Amino acid sequence: MASDQQPLLEGHTVSKYFGGLAAVNNVDFAIYPGEIVGLIGPNGSGKTTLFDCLSRLQNIDSGKVFFKGRDVTRARPYQVARMGLTRTFQSVRVYRKMTVHRNMLISHQWRDTSILSMLQPSRASTAQRAYQLLDFLQIRHLADEEAGHLSGGQRRLLEIGMALMPDPDILLLDEATSGVNPTLIETIKDRIRTLNEQGKTFLLIEHNINFIADLCSRVYVLNYGEKLAEGTPQKILQNEAVIDAYFGA
Amino acid sequence: MGTGPPVKTSEEKAKRKLSLPFLAPVHSLLAGWVGLTLWLLLLLLLALYPYTGVSSVALFVGSQIFVLVTLASNWNLIGGMTGYVDFGHAVFFGIGAYIMGILVTGSPLLISPEWGFWQALPASGVAAALFALLIGLPTLRLKGPYFSIAMLGTLVAMREIARVLRPFTGGGVGLNLPPLLNRLGDYYLMLAVMGLVVSIIWWIQRSQFGQSLIAIREDEIGAEMRGINTTLHKIVAFMIAAFFTGIVGGFWAWQNTYIDPDVVFVEARTVEMVMMSMLGGLGTVWGPPLGAVVIYFLQDLLWGSLFGVHLVALGVLLVVIVLFMPEGILGTLGDRSSTSLGRLLSRVGRSK
Amino acid sequence: MDQLLQALVSGLLLGGFYAVMVLGFSVIWGVMGVINLAHGEFLMIGAYMAWGLFRLFGMDPFASLVLILPLMFLVGYLLQIVLINRIVERPHLMTLLVTFGVSIALANLFKILFDADPRNVAVAYNGSVQLAGVTFPIVKTIIFGAALVIMVCLHLFLQRSRLGKSIRAAAQNKTAARIVGVDINRVYAITAGICIALTAAAGAMLSPTQAIFPFMGPPFTLKAVTITALGGLGRIPGALMGGMVLGITEIFVSTYVAGIGTNLGVATSFVLLVLILIVRPQGIMGGLRPIDAEAE
Repeated sequence: MASDQQPLLEGHTVSKYFGGLAAVNNVDFAIYPGEIVGLIGPNGSGKTTLFDCLSRLQNIDSGKVFFKGRDVTRARPYQVARMGLTRTFQSVRVYRKMTVHRNMLISHQWRDTSILSMLQPSRASTAQRAYQLLDFLQIRHLADEEAGHLSGGQRRLLEIGMALMPDPDILLLDEATSGVNPTLIETIKDRIRTLNEQGKTFLLIEHNINFIADLCSRVYVLNYGEKLAEGTPQKILQNEAVIDAYFGA
Repeated sequence: MGTGPPVKTSEEKAKRKLSLPFLAPVHSLLAGWVGLTLWLLLLLLLALYPYTGVSSVALFVGSQIFVLVTLASNWNLIGGMTGYVDFGHAVFFGIGAYIMGILVTGSPLLISPEWGFWQALPASGVAAALFALLIGLPTLRLKGPYFSIAMLGTLVAMREIARVLRPFTGGGVGLNLPPLLNRLGDYYLMLAVMGLVVSIIWWIQRSQFGQSLIAIREDEIGAEMRGINTTLHKIVAFMIAAFFTGIVGGFWAWQNTYIDPDVVFVEARTVEMVMMSMLGGLGTVWGPPLGAVVIYFLQDLLWGSLFGVHLVALGVLLVVIVLFMPEGILGTLGDRSSTSLGRLLSRVGRSK
Repeated sequence: MDQLLQALVSGLLLGGFYAVMVLGFSVIWGVMGVINLAHGEFLMIGAYMAWGLFRLFGMDPFASLVLILPLMFLVGYLLQIVLINRIVERPHLMTLLVTFGVSIALANLFKILFDADPRNVAVAYNGSVQLAGVTFPIVKTIIFGAALVIMVCLHLFLQRSRLGKSIRAAAQNKTAARIVGVDINRVYAITAGICIALTAAAGAMLSPTQAIFPFMGPPFTLKAVTITALGGLGRIPGALMGGMVLGITEIFVSTYVAGIGTNLGVATSFVLLVLILIVRPQGIMGGLRPIDAEAE
């Protein structure tokens, strides 16, 4: 990506400690508009913790995070969400007792934050947008099902839909393919690509290396909370340190 | 968690057996305009009731039931819809009662002239709401059982403080309010308050605000991450619930003409609210009012004559409902908006 | 200076009582995960029993422990079998609701039985001795001593005896304990018996020092929660430490807040509790399960 551009999401020496243990240690990164960036690393390497820090569910102990040029190091989660950063979770968070369509509406509520509109039911246009997105994700036929009745893969799609509802600038997807059958993985991959062409930026935590290799332009590798390497997927997959971290003793 | 392997608890299985899914359309109808229309019709009938030439006792009973329905609906807003099980909600009742007592007697603060009932009543509500803001800012950050215990602590601590602040509250001696008997006025006032509160709950339940509250109940972190300002939502819901509870407290003080710390800051009143909501169905619009009516008549039928026994029975009943009827009446009848107590509980306590 | 020393001594004496008062609560929470909101009511029952024995037979409250302990052990044992075993391993809030119901029922039952008038146990030695310019109330000093003895006994029991080891095993890992042949339900029932007996004993010992009435319980329950948050779950040194902190804080508030401080025990402990839970949801010494922890 052109480096003269301003990064969309940027972190300087981001650190997060649990007790004395550094879950994320001095990580620098910059994600530019229109990129699809991968975040890989062995289990427990701090990927999800970094996501939590970026989406502000965890406090950042030191370092700074900028989103759209604004310092969001101390922002509340709902504030970064409203600025245009949405995410999915490793263990899917959907409202299992609500219908799929209702789930989509929930993620759009804040769009009208005036008191008057808060007192109204969701607008018809919002409902329409939810149906369109469900269509796009090929789960329209499930709109009136309770989310709890969906399969694992369908839930992942629904969660992506929920993250898309507010029309964000960047989506953080945490293991969007785990527990998903191969056909659906292809669907997810295809949808990500389409969305990226429409201008959405992605940051993906992923264990599925093929998925990363197919989609991402750049990859960051974390190990024990530290940035081990960064570069194109091809370069990363030949990097000795990375291979060591994954397969080494 | 939102997902994971769907572990079915025995409660959920029991629910499947009991629930009557064919009633689901009825429930969704009642949650919509039909429900409100029927409610307004009922209010109209209740407003005409005194014209049938009833005794003042019947009017008194009516106003008592309206009080219970209002309290249950209010508690349901924070406990049932938002999922913050408040064990100290009676504290707002007590504050409303004391503000009423202090303002209309005037003496403790040397307020002169004393306030009239109609000025003091809104003040009771406002004071309770402000107190909710003050106490909610720290306590609503606590999760699950800790919130419940902290609110119970608030209640017991306020009872203590009311006893200590003798110059304002009369301490343990309490306050005597001017007795002005007006059963008909009481009836209509509480009918109006009840009508308003339940209509507001109905409105909230279908608004984006209410849906956000339910989202907070089901998954607070998820709600926050989807752009809902959870703190603001919780505080507002808490303040609304406290406001009307304070109004009821003020009214109760006026009607009872005597208050002291032990009759207004009392755990049993919280238990009553919790139980009526649970019995009817947590998180539904019509469940808590239904539960309140059932509890009132149950009390009247079973142990109305023996003073004090009903409080023992109240405690026992709470145990029985929690153990054997966690879904409430509406939940058992297949209302989807009803949160099973068991599910609400297992969500908040899931890390156990 | 004298006032400070006196406040410190009074605080320590009160803290000793709090430590023994909290044991039953803290062990039940630690072993079974049940937050017993009826804790204060069992204390109240113990106090009433001491009062009854004192009135009927002139029995000394400390001597009456010989009767109260086994009797309340039985009560706790049965309560566990009949009721609490149904809610163990259930979410915290469910146990909260059930024990809340039990607490309301018990308090009002005692109100019917003994009406709301405060009762007193006027023992002959209800005086105090001066030592180095500091006043030691005799009863409270005896309670302090008894508290230490009880805590040492309980500690030895949990650490050394076979049964104590089973209880600790059940607290740490239920499944594993089951696999090695621990009869969990029986262990729980015995634990509940011990805890309820200890709580009632605390109430009996308390009876000479304060008025006994049906609604005396909830403040003790709340203080028990605060102490547990301070000292950690089911740990005896923690209970002692937490009890001391709360006791000293309370006495200092009543000594130095002019006029009204004396009666602000619950308010003090409430403020302390909320502060602790907000600053450190896992409790000062850790061990409280952080309820909002996300399993990853």
